[in-house]
Amino acid sequence: MHLPKSDLVFAFSVVLMAITSGIALADDAKPFAGQTVSVLLPSPQDANMAADFEKATGIKLDLQTASWDDVSVKISTALLAGTAPADVTEFDWSWTGQFAAADWYTPLNDTVDAATLDDIKGSTIFNVNGKVLAIPYTNDFRVMLVNKKQFADAGVTVMPKTLDELVAAAKAVKAKGIVKYPIGLPLSATEGASTSWYLLTKAFGGDLFDKDMKPLFTAPDSAGYKAMAFEMMLLKEGLVDPASTGLKDSEINETLFAKGLTSIMISGEPGRLGAYNDPAQSVVAGQVQAIPIATESGKTRSFGLLEGLGIPRNAQNPEAAKEFIKWMTSKDYQIHNYANGVLPTRTSALAELQQQGKLVSGEALVEQAPTVEALFPSGAPAWYPQFSLAVNTSINSAAKGEISVEQAVQRIAEAAAEAVKQ
Amino acid sequence: MVLPILLTMGGLVFYPLLSTAWDSLHRVNPMQAGTPFVGISNYTRVFSDVEVGQAWLNTFKYVVIAVFAETVLGVLAASLINQLKSGRQWVLAAVVLPWALPGVVSGVIWQWIYSPGPGLLNGLLVMIGLDYEGHLWFNDSTSAMLAVSVVHIWRMLPLTIVIVLAAMQSIPGDLYEAARMDGASRLVMFRNITLPLTRGAIAVAMTNATVSAFNLFDEAIVLARNSLETRPILLQIYLEAFKKLNFSYGMALSLMVTFISLAISLGYVLRIHRSTRLD
Repeated sequence: MHLPKSDLVFAFSVVLMAITSGIALADDAKPFAGQTVSVLLPSPQDANMAADFEKATGIKLDLQTASWDDVSVKISTALLAGTAPADVTEFDWSWTGQFAAADWYTPLNDTVDAATLDDIKGSTIFNVNGKVLAIPYTNDFRVMLVNKKQFADAGVTVMPKTLDELVAAAKAVKAKGIVKYPIGLPLSATEGASTSWYLLTKAFGGDLFDKDMKPLFTAPDSAGYKAMAFEMMLLKEGLVDPASTGLKDSEINETLFAKGLTSIMISGEPGRLGAYNDPAQSVVAGQVQAIPIATESGKTRSFGLLEGLGIPRNAQNPEAAKEFIKWMTSKDYQIHNYANGVLPTRTSALAELQQQGKLVSGEALVEQAPTVEALFPSGAPAWYPQFSLAVNTSINSAAKGEISVEQAVQRIAEAAAEAVKQ
Repeated sequence: MVLPILLTMGGLVFYPLLSTAWDSLHRVNPMQAGTPFVGISNYTRVFSDVEVGQAWLNTFKYVVIAVFAETVLGVLAASLINQLKSGRQWVLAAVVLPWALPGVVSGVIWQWIYSPGPGLLNGLLVMIGLDYEGHLWFNDSTSAMLAVSVVHIWRMLPLTIVIVLAAMQSIPGDLYEAARMDGASRLVMFRNITLPLTRGAIAVAMTNATVSAFNLFDEAIVLARNSLETRPILLQIYLEAFKKLNFSYGMALSLMVTFISLAISLGYVLRIHRSTRLD
């Protein structure tokens, strides 16, 4: 068959147009393909994150991870030196005041749409004077985690709702010789010791500061004072491992609770439930469940520690960085990432996981979620890092018997007053 | 000829030093606008800051322990190695190894050694019949400070050994030969020949030990994190500057550390110079 030359030219043109338009479409879908974005996040993260992100966007991912405390150090030192630690970094709730005051991060108001911000309820915590400094990617609030098998072996059949019941359950586990130290509680001079004390302060029915930022924890009948005394009692009674004075919260999670060496995580992270119940990552798979925070009164309370993603002002590739944030906070990825211990921040993603029956201890999380409060209702103050440092070093000193509870709370109050003054 | 040295020293030492000194007289805090002149308030603040006071006290303890131990053990170890007739280079290579390790690596190694559960130290003590099962070395301020000091001494001792050994090897053998013919014992020879002729090297080693003890950081943060009972001044400076963002206060503290360690080191050098000068 012979086609006229004009038909051949026409056919060739059609094919060429189809090919080039395909390329153009692909370019539109992946406008930053071939670029590289560096990301600094706390460990652990999804092992396939780089490959999945590149597949979705064509952007290469240079992912660096370290423990939360180490990431915090790396970020603050780099920012102070005027450099960006990465194109996208962790942005913890507690850094909001300090980082906003230093104007270190690019506002992300144009990165996500209003519907996304509406779906991610906690995003207001990173909103300072109308500037959205970070987008929450992990829904970190506190619940208690218990090893239900160890509870059952000890004859504890009803999950504790009050702190007295919690102590009784721990004593029962210890008395049966199931574990030597049934309660996991960080007491080292690290952030985990601070957050555990904040949680217990709420569990004793109080708050850290009044509306004028005056400390509320120095009187012996205050919740903060009782919370610290409670921690020291747990240590004295042999319910908490004395070696906790040198352990970070991540170490207690990974080396004690995940190995069945302790039965209760007082300040438990719901995101870890997936990993705890994964036989490949934990020897207590199928034994761990979340329960609402036990309190003095029996009425549960908790607080949120949202972690977000932000872009430092000096980031080398801010456009690709925005693509990463959009991708990591998308509903699909949040649902996928739950398997890696990251609890979604999107209400829609949480609802879908619950509908699919994939949310581990979903009932407890659903019960706890409405009780989650902000530690600082008007946003984390710029002096939070100074306050937190004083909290965890004082708890550490008290746990080692170097100072009394009274001296510890006084020291924290003085540090807070000094920090506010500056 | 001296221009490259002047440029290098000026650019890398004197300019940063002067710039730091100037900034320490201002309020430099990225959270606060402007850098107003505050005079010497960053220096006087030290006297009312309890945490900084504790960190200074800890640092002076580290300096005393480290300089004493490194000097005594370093001179003794150098004397023993100097006696070796063969294989000295192998012994020296093994001795120098801890010095070659980064401070953080030393800290991690000793973290395992001090570990209360499977730790080597508790295991050895239990093996010889002592009640050290699960002993926590960092839950007592004295033992914690000694534990951190031991790691620092372990890491820095080799440098003292190398400096003193080099000086010992330059002592003419004739002196020892003559002393032996006069019936001098080993102890007398050590006191009357070895020590006087290695004083200069010992002063250099003590200066180095002092400066490195003032700069102790890695071992403390790895082994005891931010614990106030073991916190050295350098860790306090880091917390002031990088956690609390009191940058100019951190600068003032840094300059104080520099000048105090230099002043103490100068003291050794002048004392040794006076006792060894020929006139």
